[in-house]
Amino acid sequence: MARALSSFRPAFVAGVGLHPYQKFSPSPYVALGLTAVREALADAGAQWRDVESAYVASALLGMAPGRPMLRHLGASGLSITHVENASASGSSAFRLAVHEVASGQSDLVIAIGVDKPAMVELGARQTGIDLLERDRIAAFTHFALLAQRYADAYGATPEDFARVAAKNLGNGARNPYAQRRESKTVAEIVAAPQLAGFLTAPQSCPIGEGAAAVIVASEEGLKRLKLKRRRAVRVLSSASRSERVYDDDGGFDAALTEETVRDALRDADISAGALDVVELHDAFSVEELLYVERMGLCDPGDAPRRLAAGDFDIGGAVAVSPSGGLIAMGHPLGPTGLGQICEITRQLRGEATDRQHPGAKTGLAHMVGLGAVCVAHVLQRDA
Amino acid sequence: MAAQMEHPTLYGEGAERPVLYGARCSQCERVNFPRQTAGCESCGAHGAALTPVEIDARGALVSFAFVRKHMGADIAAPFAIGEVRLQGGPVIRCTLAEGLSEGALRTGQTVVGLLAHNPKSKEGVVELRFAPEQR
Repeated sequence: MARALSSFRPAFVAGVGLHPYQKFSPSPYVALGLTAVREALADAGAQWRDVESAYVASALLGMAPGRPMLRHLGASGLSITHVENASASGSSAFRLAVHEVASGQSDLVIAIGVDKPAMVELGARQTGIDLLERDRIAAFTHFALLAQRYADAYGATPEDFARVAAKNLGNGARNPYAQRRESKTVAEIVAAPQLAGFLTAPQSCPIGEGAAAVIVASEEGLKRLKLKRRRAVRVLSSASRSERVYDDDGGFDAALTEETVRDALRDADISAGALDVVELHDAFSVEELLYVERMGLCDPGDAPRRLAAGDFDIGGAVAVSPSGGLIAMGHPLGPTGLGQICEITRQLRGEATDRQHPGAKTGLAHMVGLGAVCVAHVLQRDA
Repeated sequence: MAAQMEHPTLYGEGAERPVLYGARCSQCERVNFPRQTAGCESCGAHGAALTPVEIDARGALVSFAFVRKHMGADIAAPFAIGEVRLQGGPVIRCTLAEGLSEGALRTGQTVVGLLAHNPKSKEGVVELRFAPEQR
């Protein structure tokens, strides 16, 4: 019989580190990744030689970028596994690290996400099956179609979609790791260059470069290595699913999100109302409206009103994407899901400085990846 | 001389209007588009269980978006993409006919396929577009 993560031994986030997300630069990926790893080690108070296993998430760097980067920390002979799961690569690397620790196989494991912008051929283009309009439907057009459906169903306005970006850009302006650090008003966002349908450029995430690293430890690992127990954050659940055939006018992304987050909340034995912080896949503004509803954070069609009322602000009922989300923090692919874990960990520790959500105890990380796949984790600090 | 299709494996001329080439699953009755025998997305039946069908290019507009930015050389922006629930079953995404204004479109309306020349294509080549049905 299948077992939830909670039936295994506890796994904790012991350390987090980031290289700021940014536009393409001459910096090699090795420099980006090592910055994040060294920051995570320092954050945990751990040594590289203590790390038993590494999961390296990348979607754009090509085959086997891990060891050429990690050897500069001292070639310890640790296990290295590469993870590619499109936008959810970092989330899946974290899931594997958590499971390796929870199973008892290792006491200290690191998940690292690193990427630089590059053109890669998608698997879906190599199936041998031709697709109608494959080259004409960019990601922003896919989400513009969902935005139109949402507007038709609930009467949402261009300002309702723009308000998501305004909130997240405002949060990103307070995040030193964010690629976009400039606030914009709703009016400025509506008036920006149009992409498709309701969506304008600031409502689309920037694809840049960066790195994120998360150290996962068992309780025994924390004690043995004298890591900082009071700053360790428990991973309550891990859920991962892929798209089914849906008879759902809300779109497969939202239906898949509903199923995956439902699994994550069930395994964590909490309700959506218990969440204080949510980092979600807001590659495009409409996604936040769709997902907060499907996650159970508000009723169907009520997300624009709740957003406008400030309920999803830092300091609101639940802080949604306090990092700035993909729209402001950026979306370098491999690191993105791990960057969410970094932000939630800082929020739950109370270390998120001037973007701290007061009293944050429980957080949810959610990513959708091309395909589609969806990965969600629930994290919680000790009471 | 018959027109040459931009994507001859996906659609062609029908008796009344264009048809799309799909496959019906004999196990679960789902109509898959595009046509393939690798396996039914709903139940996994494959090979001969997926029998060719022609799907009438007529359905309900589920959503639409006017695209203002496009990197490809196959069509010039702006153009409109529609999402259509075909009466034969599948939901497809397709390019809408040139010259449509946003005011001419509303979700739920019936749209039908037509074969039109794309100025970016070779002479004599037509592609499938959709437009509101004229009554």
